[in-house]
Amino acid sequence: MSVSNMLENWKNFRHMHPVDDAPHAEYKWAMSIDLDACTGCNACTVACYAENNLPVVGKDKFNAGQQMHWMRIERYWDEDKRDFPDQGAQFLPMMCQHCEAAPCETVCPAGATNHTADGLNSQVYNRCIGSRYCSANCPFKVRYFNWYDYPTTDNVWPAEMTEQLNPDVTVRGKGVMEKCTFCVQRLERAKNNARTEGRLVKDGEVQTACQQACPTNAISFGNLVEPESKVAKQWAHQQVELAREGQAKDEQEGGSKLRGYRIFEELRAYPSVMYLERVRESAI
Amino acid sequence: MEKDIREDIAWAKINGDVLKSLETPRPLYWVILLVALAMFGVGLGCEIYQYNIGMGVANLNNPHVWGLYIATFIFWIGMSHSGTLLSAILHLMHADWRKPIYRFAEAMTTFSLMTAGLFVMVHLGRLWQFYYAVPYPNERWTWPNFQSPLLWDAMAIFTYLSSSVIFLYVGMIPDLAIARDNIHSGWRKKLYTLLALGWEGTDRQWRNFRVTYLTVACFLIPLAVSVHSIVASDFAMSQQPGWHVTSFPPYFVAGALYSGCAAIITLFIILRYVFKFEEYMTMPILRKVVRLTFAIAMVWTYLNLIEYASVWYSHDEAAKAVLIQKATGPYAPFWWMMNFCGSVVPLLMMVKRFQTNIPMMFAVSLLLNLGMWLERWMIVSPTFSHGYYPWTWDHFQWPSLVQWGMVFGSFGWFTLLFMVFCKVFPSVSMYEVKEMVYHRSLALKNNELAEKGAH
Amino acid sequence: MIENGINRRDFLKVMGWGGAAVALAGCGNTSVQDGKEIVTSYASLDLPEYAIPGISVYFNSTCAQCDAGCNIAGRVREGRVLKLEGNPASPINRGKTCGLGQAGVQAHYNPDRVRQPLLRTGGKTEELAWDKAFALINEKVGGAKGNEVAFLTGGLSGHAKVLFTNYMDALGSKSHYVYEAVAPSVVRAANKKAYGVEMPRLHIDKARVVVSFGADFLGAWVSPVHFSQQYAQFRKGSNGQRGVLVQIESKMTLTGANADRWLAVRPGTEGIVALGVIHALGEAGMSLPADVAALSKAYDAERVSKDTGVSAEQIKKLATLLKERTPSLVIAGSAAEGYAHGSQNAAAIALLNRVLGNIGKTIDAPATVPFPQVAVETGKRSALEALSGSMAGGAVKVLFTYAANPVYSAPAALKFKENLGKVPFKVAFAHFMDETAQEADLVLPLDSAMEEWGTVVPEYMPETAQLNIRQPLMERLHTETRGVGDIMLALLKQSRPNDYKDFDDFYAYLRNAILKNKAALGGAGTDDDTFWMETLSKGIAPMGTAMGKLAATPAASGLSLPAPAEADSAYPLRLIPYVTPNLRDGRHANQPWLQESPDPLTTIVWDTWVEMHPSTAAKLGVVEGDIVEVSSRSGTVQAQAYIFPGIHPDAISMPLGNGHTSMGRWANGVGVNTFALLDQVVDKDTGELALNETQVKVSKTGKRVIVVKDEGFAGGSQAGKKIAVRTSTDKVELTGEV
Ligand SMILES: Nc1nc2c(c(=O)[nH]1)N[C@H]1C(S)=C(S)[C@@H](COP(=O)(O)OP(=O)(O)OC[C@H]3O[C@@H](n4cnc5c(=O)[nH]c(N)nc54)[C@H](O)[C@@H]3O)O[C@H]1N2
Ligand SMILES: Nc1nc2c(c(=O)[nH]1)N[C@H]1C(S)=C(S)[C@@H](COP(=O)(O)OP(=O)(O)OC[C@H]3O[C@@H](n4cnc5c(=O)[nH]c(N)nc54)[C@H](O)[C@@H]3O)O[C@H]1N2
Ligand code: SF4
Ligand code: SF4
Ligand code: SF4
Ligand code: SF4
Ligand code: SF4
Repeated sequence: MSVSNMLENWKNFRHMHPVDDAPHAEYKWAMSIDLDACTGCNACTVACYAENNLPVVGKDKFNAGQQMHWMRIERYWDEDKRDFPDQGAQFLPMMCQHCEAAPCETVCPAGATNHTADGLNSQVYNRCIGSRYCSANCPFKVRYFNWYDYPTTDNVWPAEMTEQLNPDVTVRGKGVMEKCTFCVQRLERAKNNARTEGRLVKDGEVQTACQQACPTNAISFGNLVEPESKVAKQWAHQQVELAREGQAKDEQEGGSKLRGYRIFEELRAYPSVMYLERVRESAI
Repeated sequence: MEKDIREDIAWAKINGDVLKSLETPRPLYWVILLVALAMFGVGLGCEIYQYNIGMGVANLNNPHVWGLYIATFIFWIGMSHSGTLLSAILHLMHADWRKPIYRFAEAMTTFSLMTAGLFVMVHLGRLWQFYYAVPYPNERWTWPNFQSPLLWDAMAIFTYLSSSVIFLYVGMIPDLAIARDNIHSGWRKKLYTLLALGWEGTDRQWRNFRVTYLTVACFLIPLAVSVHSIVASDFAMSQQPGWHVTSFPPYFVAGALYSGCAAIITLFIILRYVFKFEEYMTMPILRKVVRLTFAIAMVWTYLNLIEYASVWYSHDEAAKAVLIQKATGPYAPFWWMMNFCGSVVPLLMMVKRFQTNIPMMFAVSLLLNLGMWLERWMIVSPTFSHGYYPWTWDHFQWPSLVQWGMVFGSFGWFTLLFMVFCKVFPSVSMYEVKEMVYHRSLALKNNELAEKGAH
Repeated sequence: MIENGINRRDFLKVMGWGGAAVALAGCGNTSVQDGKEIVTSYASLDLPEYAIPGISVYFNSTCAQCDAGCNIAGRVREGRVLKLEGNPASPINRGKTCGLGQAGVQAHYNPDRVRQPLLRTGGKTEELAWDKAFALINEKVGGAKGNEVAFLTGGLSGHAKVLFTNYMDALGSKSHYVYEAVAPSVVRAANKKAYGVEMPRLHIDKARVVVSFGADFLGAWVSPVHFSQQYAQFRKGSNGQRGVLVQIESKMTLTGANADRWLAVRPGTEGIVALGVIHALGEAGMSLPADVAALSKAYDAERVSKDTGVSAEQIKKLATLLKERTPSLVIAGSAAEGYAHGSQNAAAIALLNRVLGNIGKTIDAPATVPFPQVAVETGKRSALEALSGSMAGGAVKVLFTYAANPVYSAPAALKFKENLGKVPFKVAFAHFMDETAQEADLVLPLDSAMEEWGTVVPEYMPETAQLNIRQPLMERLHTETRGVGDIMLALLKQSRPNDYKDFDDFYAYLRNAILKNKAALGGAGTDDDTFWMETLSKGIAPMGTAMGKLAATPAASGLSLPAPAEADSAYPLRLIPYVTPNLRDGRHANQPWLQESPDPLTTIVWDTWVEMHPSTAAKLGVVEGDIVEVSSRSGTVQAQAYIFPGIHPDAISMPLGNGHTSMGRWANGVGVNTFALLDQVVDKDTGELALNETQVKVSKTGKRVIVVKDEGFAGGSQAGKKIAVRTSTDKVELTGEV
């Protein structure tokens, strides 16, 4: 525990976000979600439960606001007081946006939530002391705290149900914070495999569980550093840039005919998730 | 003008009166002690329950992750400022009327910091790992996150607490020697002998003592200001509506001094009554404390209004929504009560007649503290119930009995510590009261001489 | 994949429990504090060379959560199935799954599964050995003649169906009742009449406009994962021409929530809307066939608007859109079929497809299944009425039930449970002690879909005919459960020992059956072992390329729609039971992921609710969370009210699937059973229970609860923030999008 070591670590640990002084070299994981394709079906949510050992908390705790869904599907209505919502509802899958300048990271006293070299907002369960400051400062409120010790709570994982748990993912005990990890265990595996073969992860080689389940392919995921990846191409086409708040789209008068945006861009958290606006037919 | 203290109190009487407070307690003392113990027991029971079952029993939720623990933590940190204000600041300003009352105020500082520390602990989801938030030597070479205001908090509180304990102790050494010399047997004798560090009142000792005391006082003042500024930074450095307010540090410090002063009035009145300290805790001193409190109340009111105004005139819609929410939403009764207690009730202190009306000042001081406690709650909770993200707005969260139980218990814990302190250590500074009496009598003599000379 | 003929069971046996113990210890399901862990060394396990600890192996199989029969890949590690993923080679689901499908593992690992054959006599339950159970069945069927032995099953296909059929033949019984509580059986019958096939292939992806009359094809209708895939294509469109979806229904379904235009229609008047659109198309200059023109003449926009509540302007707009953008596709779904004139509604809607020239373009004939014995036999609600009748008359001596829970889902008027009591001997093949198993004399515990062998012919096949393979993804969790195939084989061995003596178990039977038809299943020229391994590895066997033909054209003759029903003064509201994407007919209610997965539209979890339009609620003085009493002529339940804009004011809606009294820890006592309210009104043409014909009245009870839902205080409001943003087609350029 030397000071020089600390300073060295510090350099790696905190640099100017997003990526001014240390641009992502090999990977920058990012997502885009097409709200016009998303039907709000919830398959992604359930897939995330299955992949990431999320506890089912039951009705009472759900009522108390203690549910643990890393991916939640929000449903919005138009607010113009028509008799019927005759343009349907609007669905929005919301999970950790893996902000490049994540407000949750700077405030964590223990350094339990960090930025990884490949642009993830990581969560180190063992290091977390449960101060919940990160959640307090997350603009999207996508962090979920283990209010109870779910592994030992009745009917969370009774008997054989434990056999379903994904061994690649820790089962969290009480008092730690958790949230969407972009399925980091899948990313790590893919990276390891690629490294063994002396190459980088190829586009499409790794999917997040939500993306994999999504029946409408609304979710795309990949490496933003790789210009040929689908996600990079989508971001480029929509002129959404990681390190900007307010995009070309917002600046053009009368709209830009593009539909990519990130939520709360004005807060300068620089999310890694781009949404594509839902579209409705104007002729009907 | 009435006198702060009679100048003809014999030094032996001062010793006697104060040391009497260390003697076998009256039944009233035991009653208070038992009540405090019971209250503490309630809090402790709640914590044991929460520790075993999980933080969920506090009825916090996502995203309403902070509640009364943090609010009460700030409250107690605020309390601690009274002692520093009276002992250190007024000491430097040579306001000698502080002398009969600063000792217990300093004890308050220490004990409220200890109480505040408990709230940090009970708030943590994994309190058994609390040390991850402080830099400590470990084989993994891992450091905490120096960027986090919560870490500054941890360090500031530790520093402030240890400095306060040193300050309290150093200032007590001459009195401990008096106690040693006047008590002839038992554990007390041993204790005072040990703690008095061989004080004999030599000239050299006094000179060293003065320098040390002054140094620690100087050191403590910036600490006190910083500790609450840092607590304010927990909020001001965040990005949340209702929290990221530039004026928070001075606002918090003002609030801290405010609640500290109010608590001094409360304890002043209690000690005066319980230990029969009427000779030392006199009405003129009370009046001075009340006036000081009033002044701080107005500073706080001003800063409070600044905050509302700056939110209102900024174009920060989210922050504005939180403010409107405070005034009209589920927290509205508490928010209005805070404004009433914090800014309207102190107006009573302007009335001269009331300034020495003990029952009234007692009630006022309690209301001010209620207001200050509500202020902290109103800073913490409404932001969670109505933050940036509408989907997660939660206007229904209500602290569970476990949270209330621990808030309640903390007052028991504080009282417990304070009552024990009062029986073990002189809660009025004997040597300084003597100084005060001496200075006053000197002044009197000079005046008399001058008068005579004039004739 | 597995290259040699290793016995999978042996492998799984080795892996199963040992692997589980390791995983239990390793997965961290011990608390950080107590530090207790069980450590099992991998070295003590004798692993086949392809099984590497820590590396997942995927086995293809078939989802058993609904009849869509999606092809799935089970992710297996250290002998445990961890997760179900879609099989990317599947023409149905193309690597995708729905939430219900994801939860399949919870059917398997469910702690409330039946684990032992149970004999229940006079309120006493005792465990029984399998040979005793089989002997008992033999004795009972021996004492009954022919049709006195009845079978009540859910939709059946594949080789299990073959064995069922053979067993019934052996007993000389023709009493097979195939029952599904919420199947689109009226639409199937109407399709058969209109197009000559029960379920034509729908090309949503090729259509530029889709008009759906309450077909929740993105949620719970027929093959939702497949249709969702098509939908995604349809939305992207071709040449930047995004497909337009118009949904016409009385209660907004998930599909309705995704429509460009959602039209609230007065319940039961869907057919009138269809004829109105035809009329408007004629007005707009489209030439109508004479019979259609004659029929639709009376349906001018104003009248239709008055009858249905859909504005004349909308009808005209819709007609214009349909005229301009071709091809289109019109789908009749549950909103249309749930009435006494449901078949007529469906027929009117089919007519619209004819007028628009969609037949043969976006509506196509399905593949022909060359082996009718394995083809899917879909369930009908009318089956239950017939069975209930013959039970009441004492005509059933032995009843087998499989994959159906009529005691839970039958309309009260059938008195099903009471009639069931008249059957002297009831055998339930059960995963759970559900309401029907509770009434049985003998309960036979089934393997989960992750333990059994089988084949499935999907109800809806988007391309050529396919035989889906279901194979064990791991060793049995409980030693005494059996696959339904194994049970049927054992029973057949009792009746026809000689025919089946060559087959040790169902696996052997299945392997033989498939290898016998190797050539027809795409294996000509390969040796048996290779073909078998390849088939298992792919999880899908093609059954030839023959496609059927659309053998009919929707006709106007015989079509007559009743005038819109007047409100019944005693029961003024109409109940629209909602088939939710999560719970469907309720058989999966004991899977906690599904209970905790919010309903997409209301975001409610763990309960049943009563949806009503704000205006209806205002009239009744009801606010969200009020416990209301909903009474029909058949029953009464109490449930929480939820104010929901997407429903016609004349109707209320309640989800099906909850309100179990016997199922398991996560289902019992959750919500109320909406089936209990249904009136026994049937579609006049098919005799199918008309699901939307129940009339109800709603009254407040004075009690109020907090509705447990994901939606927060702000409800569905974005509070003016830019969160879920929507634009319109004239403001975007979709061509060139990646
Ligand atoms: N069979 C067997 N078991 C062993 C051992 C053995 O030798 N053999 N060794 C033991 C020893 S010594 C150790 S140290 C442990 C190690 O056991 P684990 O701690 O389980 O170690 P890993 O598998 O390396 O990492 C766990 C997971 O963390 C994910 N991960 C990576 N970065 C992040 C992040 O930023 N946030 C989050 N939330 N997850 C992340 C990875 O993808 C991976 O899935 O195993 C012990 N168990
Ligand atoms: N690529 C890669 N490298 C890694 C890791 C990784 O995940 N991936 N993980 C890292 C981690 S977390 C760890 S802890 C290390 C572990 O690295 P090592 O400490 O090297 O661990 P092992 O290889 O498990 O065991 C060391 C040796 O101890 C022997 N041994 C067993 N019992 C005894 C005993 O009672 N006495 C003696 N004298 N010897 C005994 C074993 O036979 C073995 O030869 O590896 C690190 N290296
Ligand atoms: S979305 Fe919230 S939790 Fe995720 S990185 Fe951003 S601030 Fe952190
Ligand atoms: S809850 Fe855990 S991750 Fe979040 S700030 Fe506290 S210690 Fe850090
Ligand atoms: S990326 Fe992975 S962890 Fe995040 S929501 Fe999707 S499935 Fe869950
Ligand atoms: S699975 Fe896909 S379509 Fe369904 S809610 Fe999730 S993102 Fe939307
Ligand atoms: S649609 Fe049916 S078969 Fe397909 S994944 Fe979902 S539940 Fe399984």
